[in-house]
Amino acid sequence: MEDPGFVRGLCRVYAAMLFAYPRDFRLEYGAEMQQFFHDRCRELVRANSGCSAWFRFGMRNLMDWIVSTVREHRAAPRQTSGARKLIQEWAVTLLLFLFVTTTMVQAYVVPTGSMENNILIGDHMLVDKVGFSNTGNNWTSYVLPNRQVKRGDIIAFRYPQDVRQTFVKRVIGLPGDHIQLQNKQVIRNGQPLEEPYAQHTSTHADDDRDNFPTAAAPAAFANHVQDGEVVVPPDMLFVLGDNRDNSLDSRYWGFVPRDYLVGKPLVIYWSYDGSTKDFETWNIEHLEDVALHFFTKTRWSRTLTAP
Amino acid sequence: MPKPDLLPLTPPVFHILLALADEERHGYGIMQDVARQTNDALLLGPGTLYGCVKRMLAAGLVEESDERPDLELDDERRRYYRMTALGRDTVRAEASRLAGAVSAAKAKLGLAGGK
Repeated sequence: MEDPGFVRGLCRVYAAMLFAYPRDFRLEYGAEMQQFFHDRCRELVRANSGCSAWFRFGMRNLMDWIVSTVREHRAAPRQTSGARKLIQEWAVTLLLFLFVTTTMVQAYVVPTGSMENNILIGDHMLVDKVGFSNTGNNWTSYVLPNRQVKRGDIIAFRYPQDVRQTFVKRVIGLPGDHIQLQNKQVIRNGQPLEEPYAQHTSTHADDDRDNFPTAAAPAAFANHVQDGEVVVPPDMLFVLGDNRDNSLDSRYWGFVPRDYLVGKPLVIYWSYDGSTKDFETWNIEHLEDVALHFFTKTRWSRTLTAP
Repeated sequence: MPKPDLLPLTPPVFHILLALADEERHGYGIMQDVARQTNDALLLGPGTLYGCVKRMLAAGLVEESDERPDLELDDERRRYYRMTALGRDTVRAEASRLAGAVSAAKAKLGLAGGK
């Protein structure tokens, strides 16, 4: 007797469902279970069963499948074969690693001195990606402790001119703040800032670097200047580097959108005395240099300090 | 003698043993006989049935049979199972345990025997 098409389909579905059972059980009884299922279908066809009988049959088999797969997995002896165990352990490690590095912390190396003397060229740091609330609408912001960005925070963010690069700067202005620089002195909301963290390397006062904003300020500020002050728009941040005279920061390219925030530098895990090009692009000389001078050129006093 | 730790049997195991008490059967035949015994109250699915069979084989209650009695329905994928002596003792012990339980229930509930 030729089976109706839907019976053949059901049998194929059931054959696929057998893969939920432990491998040993499936190999031992899978063929018989398929035969059993097929027999039951044939019997229902012979009895000219209606929809409700087929429905009950389907539900009963579904229940049977759920209960017995769970039971057989519990009963199955744990696989202790060395290779399999190794693969399992590494898979878990890899998954955890991917989870942690993509959602919680990420390692960065600083190639420029724009935050000197607080962050140096060659500082390798971990950035906490969940410490600020609503960073990229991450679900972890509902689970893990976090807070709003404050003025004076050091932050890592995507460089708005090239989002592949991550910059580290200090937050000077929050949305609504009025910012102005007069002869290197930052004035926020009318108050001159006391900035012990900032350093100046030249006495010369440049326009747009040390007096800001001027008529030549970047186009990004065009609609955000009031009475000679930049007003930070909603969901934007105004950032400056601590190495004030050598820093490519908001003064030159505009605001940082709040969504570009990556996180908060957490800890410097290794600081190595090198040049900008060593940390920007991979080169064999740098590798050789590290191999030869690891102990002398590592800045041990910075290891495991917070930036 | 039945191993005391096998008792009480679960209803599927008890009925599977009963199904094999009179003849060797394959899986689907066991399921059909259990349905007859219980008036369709216990319809074993394939996962439950073969899970039980696996444990009953391990406990020595049933064994695989080499004979293939049902020639016209025969299929090489089918395996036939038969009850061992241990299985027979175990299902007897379970039946008398159940009989004891039923008579205790009758005494407590004041049910007239058989009616």
